[in-house]
Amino acid sequence: MIKDPRALSRRTLFAASAAGAVLMTLEEARAQGIQPRRGGTLTTMITPEPPVLVLGVNNQGPTLIAASKIYQGLIKVGPKLEIVPELAESWTISDDKRTYTFKLRSNAKWHDGRDFTADDVIFSIMKFHMELAPRARQIFQRITDAKAIDAHTAQFTLDAPFEPLLLMFDVTSCAIVPKHIYDGTDYRTNPANQKPIGTGPFQFTEWQRGNFIRMRRFDQYWKPGQPYLDEIIYRIIPDSQSRRLAMQQGQAQLAAANDLEPFDIPQMEAAPNLEVLKTGFEVFSPLSWIEVNQRLDVLKDVRFRRAMAHAIDRNFIAQRLWFGAAKPATSPIASGTRFHDPNAKLPAFDIRAATALLDEMGLRPNAQGIRHSVKLLTLPYGEVWTRLSEYIRQALRQIGVEVTIESTDAGGWVRRLGAWEYELTVNFVYQYGDPTLGVSRTYISSNIQKVPFANTSGYSNPRVDELFDVAARAAEPEKRAAAFKEVQSLIIADQPLIWMIELLFPTTRDRKLNFPSWGSSGVHTCFDDVFLAA
Amino acid sequence: MSGAGLIGFLARRAGKSVVVILAIVVLNFMLIRLAPGDPALVIAGQSGAADEQFVAQLRAQFGLDRPVPEQLWIYVSGVLTGDLGMSHRQQRTVASLILERLPATLLLTGAAFLLAIVAGVAMGAWAARRVGRWGDTIITVLALTFYATPLFWVGLMLVLLFSVQLEWLPSFGMETVGANLTGFAAVADTAKYLLLPAVTLGLFYMAIYARLTRASMLEVADQDFVKTARAKGVPEARVQRAHVLRNALLPVITFAGIQAGQLIGGSILVETVFAWPGIGRLAFDALLQRDYQLLLGVFLCTSIMVIVFNLITDLLYAAVDPRVEVGG
Amino acid sequence: MKGFWRAFARNRGAVLGLLLLLLVIATGLLAPVLFPFSPWDMRGVPFMPPGEMGFLLGSDSLGRDVAAGIAHGATVSLMVGAVSTVAALAIGVSLGALAGYMGGRVDDAVMRFTEFFQTIPSFVFAVVLVAIFTPSLASIVVAIAVVSWPPVTRVVRAEFLSLRTREFVQAAEVLGRSRTAIVFREILPNALSPIIVLASLMVATAILLESSLSFLGLGDPNMMSWGFLIGSGRSVIRLAWWMSVFPGIAIFITVLALNLVGEGLNDALNPRLARQR
Repeated sequence: MIKDPRALSRRTLFAASAAGAVLMTLEEARAQGIQPRRGGTLTTMITPEPPVLVLGVNNQGPTLIAASKIYQGLIKVGPKLEIVPELAESWTISDDKRTYTFKLRSNAKWHDGRDFTADDVIFSIMKFHMELAPRARQIFQRITDAKAIDAHTAQFTLDAPFEPLLLMFDVTSCAIVPKHIYDGTDYRTNPANQKPIGTGPFQFTEWQRGNFIRMRRFDQYWKPGQPYLDEIIYRIIPDSQSRRLAMQQGQAQLAAANDLEPFDIPQMEAAPNLEVLKTGFEVFSPLSWIEVNQRLDVLKDVRFRRAMAHAIDRNFIAQRLWFGAAKPATSPIASGTRFHDPNAKLPAFDIRAATALLDEMGLRPNAQGIRHSVKLLTLPYGEVWTRLSEYIRQALRQIGVEVTIESTDAGGWVRRLGAWEYELTVNFVYQYGDPTLGVSRTYISSNIQKVPFANTSGYSNPRVDELFDVAARAAEPEKRAAAFKEVQSLIIADQPLIWMIELLFPTTRDRKLNFPSWGSSGVHTCFDDVFLAA
Repeated sequence: MSGAGLIGFLARRAGKSVVVILAIVVLNFMLIRLAPGDPALVIAGQSGAADEQFVAQLRAQFGLDRPVPEQLWIYVSGVLTGDLGMSHRQQRTVASLILERLPATLLLTGAAFLLAIVAGVAMGAWAARRVGRWGDTIITVLALTFYATPLFWVGLMLVLLFSVQLEWLPSFGMETVGANLTGFAAVADTAKYLLLPAVTLGLFYMAIYARLTRASMLEVADQDFVKTARAKGVPEARVQRAHVLRNALLPVITFAGIQAGQLIGGSILVETVFAWPGIGRLAFDALLQRDYQLLLGVFLCTSIMVIVFNLITDLLYAAVDPRVEVGG
Repeated sequence: MKGFWRAFARNRGAVLGLLLLLLVIATGLLAPVLFPFSPWDMRGVPFMPPGEMGFLLGSDSLGRDVAAGIAHGATVSLMVGAVSTVAALAIGVSLGALAGYMGGRVDDAVMRFTEFFQTIPSFVFAVVLVAIFTPSLASIVVAIAVVSWPPVTRVVRAEFLSLRTREFVQAAEVLGRSRTAIVFREILPNALSPIIVLASLMVATAILLESSLSFLGLGDPNMMSWGFLIGSGRSVIRLAWWMSVFPGIAIFITVLALNLVGEGLNDALNPRLARQR
C-alpha cells in the first residue's frame, strides 16, 4: 500500500512535538516510566450496537462505554472506588454533610465551541437526568437547592445527609450535557441526539449503523496536549467468533464487556499480543442470581430455595461456564461493592443437605425421581447465559427438581420479569459501588413494583427494610457498615434469591494499547490518557 | 408487445401490488403486537433500572399508549404518504435507517444472485450436454451437496478454512474501516470482504439453478422443434444455444423470480455469520428489541422488492418467450 | 408395487438415499440404547476432541457428548421435519383441492391468498412467528408449516384442475356421489404422486429451516436438535470445530438422503421423466 509521503512526515513531526509537550502533564505515566505517544487510531468494538450515544437518553451498557468518550462526569472513580476529580477540579462538603460545592474546570469547552459552565451542571442534574433517568431521579430528588455561585462554581443542598452521593456524579450515572442544546426541548427526540456534543476528549464524527462508530480527537479538550489518540473506531460485529478473530489478528486493540464470550478468555490470555484485565467493573459489580418468584407455592418456602442453593455449584459456574471471567458469589453485596462483608457465607454446594430439606418439606421423589417441577425463564443475553440455564436444569435434576427451560428474547424477558410472570429466571444486576445505590432496590418491600429491576421477586422482611433505611440516612460510614453487615446475614438466612456469581467482564487489550490510569470503571472512562505505543 | 399494452399491464400490476402490500402491512402490524413486551419495556430493561414513570414516558413518546386501531391507522396513513415513522430505539427515521443498510444487502444478494444464476445455468447446461458421463455426475453430485447443506454452516466452514486456517480473506464486515480508500482500491477492498458471504449465500441457489437448467434442457432437447432444427442441419452448438438453452431458461427464470425474494431471508443468516451490515440483521435485531416501526419498515421494503422481482421476472419471461403475452 | 420398486431401484442414488435415511432413522431410534443417558448430561471435560476420553465425536463447552447429542437430535430433527410437513400438507392440500375442484371465485380467492403468502419472504416470516410465539417445538412446527404450504396448494390445485374434467370424475358426479367422496375417493388418490414427491423434499427443507432457526437462537431449549448443536458450536468453532462440523454433516446426510429419495420417487411415479436419466 502506497502512503502519501508528505502526510506521513507531517504526522511524525507533529507527533514528536506533541509528545514532548505532553509528558509534563501526565505524572502517573511518567512515574510508571511509560512514554505516552501522540497519534494513532484505536480500533475497538461495541456489542451490541447502542441505540443512541447520548447518556441519559440511553443508559445501556454499550452506550455507557462509547459515550463516555464524548461526555464526562463531575468526578470519576479510582481503582479503589475513591473519588477523583474530572469536570469538577475540587469540591467541599459542609459540616452537616448536606451541602456540596463543586469548583469546575474553567477551560473546558463543548464540542461546538461554547464554554462549559455551572449552568450546564445544574441543568444536567436538576432537569436532564431528573427527567430521563430513573436511577438518577431517585437520588437527585433529595436535592432541595441547586445554584450557580459563579460561572464555574455549582452548589447543591440535600434534604438530609446522603453518604454515597459523590458516586452518582460519575459519567455513567450523571453525564454533564450542554444546556444550550437541550434546555426547553424534548430531550429524547432532540435532533442533536444524532450528533452528540460533550466536553470529552473525543468528538463524534460518523456512525454507520450496523458497521461502525467513529470519533476523533477534540483539539480544544481541557487537558492541554491530550488526548493522545487521533481517533477511536467502534466496530459493530454481531458474531462473537469474528470479534475474537479481530483481537487475535490485531485488527482491533480492545475488547470489553460483552465483546468476547467467557470461553474465549483463556485463549486471549494465552495470546502473546494480548493482555486480559479482570478489573474495571468494580463500579458496577454485577451480581448474578436465580430470581425466585416468591408469590408461588413451594417457591415461597425458604427450605425449597435453600435446597436449590445447595444444589448449585458456584465454583463450577465460575470456572467451567465463565472460564474464570466470574467469581463465586459470597454475599448479596458483591465483593467489589462498599460494605461487602467478607465473613458472609452462602449455603455450600451439598446435594445431601438439599435433598434433606426437600424430604423435610414432604416433597418425595416419584417413579422418575422427580420431586417437583419448575419453569426457568432464560436470560436472553447470549450464549453463556443459555449454557447457564442448561447447567441449572441438570444441577437441579440431581436433587429431583425437574426444570423446563422457557426461551425468550429481550422483549419477552423484560415483560415477563416486570409483570412477575415467571417461576425462576436468571438475572444480573449492577450494584453501582454502594449498597444503597444498587443493592437495596432488589430487597426492600417499598420497591415491589411491576417494572424490571425493582423488587420483582416479592421478597419482604420489615427488619431488612428498616436496616436499608438506616444505612441510606446515616452520614457516618461506620453506622452504615453495621447496618449492612446485619442486612447481609438476614438476607442470606431468608434466601430470597439464589446468588451465583459476580461477573468480572474482563477487558482484553492489545499490549500496544496503554492505560496509564486503569480504574474500577475500566473502559467507561474518557480515555484522554490512553495511547498506542509505536 | 405494444408500448400502451406494457403501460396498461404495469398499471394493473401496480394496483394489485398496492393491495397486497397494504394487506402485508396490516398483517405484520397485528402480528408484531402479539409479541410479548414492547419497545419501552425493552429499553427500560436494558438500562438496568426503571420505574413506572420511565416506562410510561417512553410509551407516550412512541404513541403506544393509544388504542391499537388508532396506532394502526396512524401507521397506515403514514405509509400511504411515504412516511415510515421513527425507529423507537434509535430515534431516527425508519426510511433513513433502511436506506443506510439497503445497499449492503442489495450488493450481497445481487452478487449472490448473479453468481448463482451464471454459475448455476452454466453448470446445468454443461452437465445436460454430458448426460450420464463423469462431468454430469460430478455436477449433479455437487449441486445436490450444496442443496443439502445448511447455508449458515457453509458460511462457518468457509470462515474456518479461508479466514481462520489460511488467513486469506477477512471473516467479517464489508470494508476496512479507517483505511479511507477510494476508486479501484475501495472496490477491491469491498470485493475481498464480499467474496465469502456472497459465495455462501449463492451456493445453495446455484445448486437449484444447475439442477433446474439441466432438467429443463433435457426436457427441451427431446422436443420436436429441436429435432427439426437438427434435421435441417443447424450446427449443434447453435442448436444448443439458440433453441435448447433459450427455451430451457423459462422455468429457471420463473424460479429465479420467486427465489430473489427468498434471498433476503437467507441474508439474515449470512449477515449474522459475516457481520455484513445489511437489512436482514437490522430486521432481526429490530424484532428482538421490539422496534415495531423499524421491523414493519423492513417488511414493507422486502415485500416491495419481492413484488418488483416478480414483475421483472414476468417481463423477462415475455422477452425470452415470444409466445407469452404479458397480461393481468 | 413391484413395478414401482423396480423403477425406484433403477435410480442408484435413490437407493443410496433410502439406505442413508434408514440409517438416520435407526440412529434416532437406537439413541436411547447407544447413549443411555440424557444428551444434556455433563459427562466429562469440556472441549475434548473426537476420540478422547470416551467421546466419539468430542465434547462440548459443558463436557456434554456431541455424539449423544447428534443421535438424540436425529429424532427431534426428523420429527420436526415430518410433523411440520404433515401440517403444511394439511393446509396446502385442502386449499389446493378447494381451489382446483371448486374453480371460479373460490379458486381466485385461494390463489390470491396463496400469492400473498408467497410475497412475504418465508424465512423472515418463520423467524418472526417463532420469536412472537416464543421458541418451542409447537411454535417451530407451526411456523415451518405456515411458510411451506403455498407450493403444495399450487401443485394440488393444478392436479385437481386437470383431474376434475376426467371421465371417471364426471362419471362419479353423474352417479350423484357426494363432493367429499369425489374429492377424497376419486381425485386425491390420483393426485398423490406429485404430493408424495413434494413431501419428501419438504421434510428436507423443514429440517434445514429448523436448523436455521436454532442457529439464530430460536430453537426449543428443551430439545436437543442438530441446529441447536451447530448454534452452540458456532461461537467456539475455532476452539472446537467438531461441535459444528459433525452436526452439520448429520444435517447434510439427512437432507441429501431425503432429496435422493424424492428423486427416486419422482422417477418411479413419473416414468416419462425417468427415461431421460
